[in-house]
Amino acid sequence: MRPLLEIARERLRRRRVVAVMSGKGGVGKSVVAALAALARPGSALVDLDLEGMSAPRLFGLSGRLHEVGKEGIEPLEAGGVKVFSLGGIVGDRYVVLPGYGQAGAVEALLAFAKLGDSDPVVVDMPPGMGEELLALGRVADFLPVLVATPSRASYGVVKHLAEYLAEMGKRPAAVVLNMAYVDCGGSRIYPFGRGEDARRLAESVGAPVHEAPIDPSLEDYVGRIHEYRGPVADVVRRMVEGL
Amino acid sequence: MHEWSLALSLVQTLDRWALERGVQIRRVVLSVPSPAQLDVSILTEAFDALKRESRLEGARLDVKVRSPRYRCRACGYEFGQEEVDAQIGRLMGQYGEEYPLHLIPELLPTFVKCPRCGSHDIEAELSIKVDEVETA
Repeated sequence: MRPLLEIARERLRRRRVVAVMSGKGGVGKSVVAALAALARPGSALVDLDLEGMSAPRLFGLSGRLHEVGKEGIEPLEAGGVKVFSLGGIVGDRYVVLPGYGQAGAVEALLAFAKLGDSDPVVVDMPPGMGEELLALGRVADFLPVLVATPSRASYGVVKHLAEYLAEMGKRPAAVVLNMAYVDCGGSRIYPFGRGEDARRLAESVGAPVHEAPIDPSLEDYVGRIHEYRGPVADVVRRMVEGL
Repeated sequence: MHEWSLALSLVQTLDRWALERGVQIRRVVLSVPSPAQLDVSILTEAFDALKRESRLEGARLDVKVRSPRYRCRACGYEFGQEEVDAQIGRLMGQYGEEYPLHLIPELLPTFVKCPRCGSHDIEAELSIKVDEVETA
């Protein structure tokens, strides 16, 4: 028996687990996950991008370590969100792990995270379809939120993820078409096209599409994402309300 | 302090397991890898404190600390704990109380290199497992 796997399952059993995923890297999963957690007071954000660890950077928590008490890992908190990340275990250094190490890290983080009454639990997934995805599937019945950009390069990867999820009996709850357009004096410019493939994919699985703009000001909020009130946050908030 | 959260997880998991089967637990054998540097006396003290009013109330916890065998997937070198101890010692010195393998021993390849080729691509059985449960 693996007690950490069992306890991780038990701790997540009665909570909604929203997994922000893509398959593709660089599409804005971590920003969407952070804004999704911020959109719902009482949320927790679990960073399962074990090698990327973007969540602490977005919230300005880099280098801070989790305290570990008698009941588990104490969260790092910012903007009312409880953040759990491997970055809070290893500090400011790289993480390189074979699959079994990733599995152990996912299970331990979810088993020991002191979630309290947090609900929902938003999970920031890594790019790719590796061990973290399998491990989350072992632990929790999650609600997938897919993030894509209008680029065809993004679509191909997201399509494979959607196909895998369908085989697992999971339907994406929403598709965020990120970096879709630029607002130019009230009119929308779509520099990468309209993302028709991604829209068709969303339609085929019955998931609503939420189109998020490129907002250059977002860069100023890296390190204080909890203070960001711009248009991307509005889109993500609407997405979360619809889950 | 992590020994308490581990003991809590163990008691909660096994209590539910025993409840589902309608049994009481008499003995639990927990196997932990030595790089976790878990304090066995704190772990058993925590277990004994937390098991009260559960289906483990009369249970004894035996902790087996095992020294893993390692294999480098890059060069194929196989080695024992003694060839890793110096690296573990430096890591403990660097992190102190926050020693990361205490919480997640499977993180070992992030911190430890193959003593022969220097690769982090190291294979070992590092999980915390229940080896045996005796019931009544």
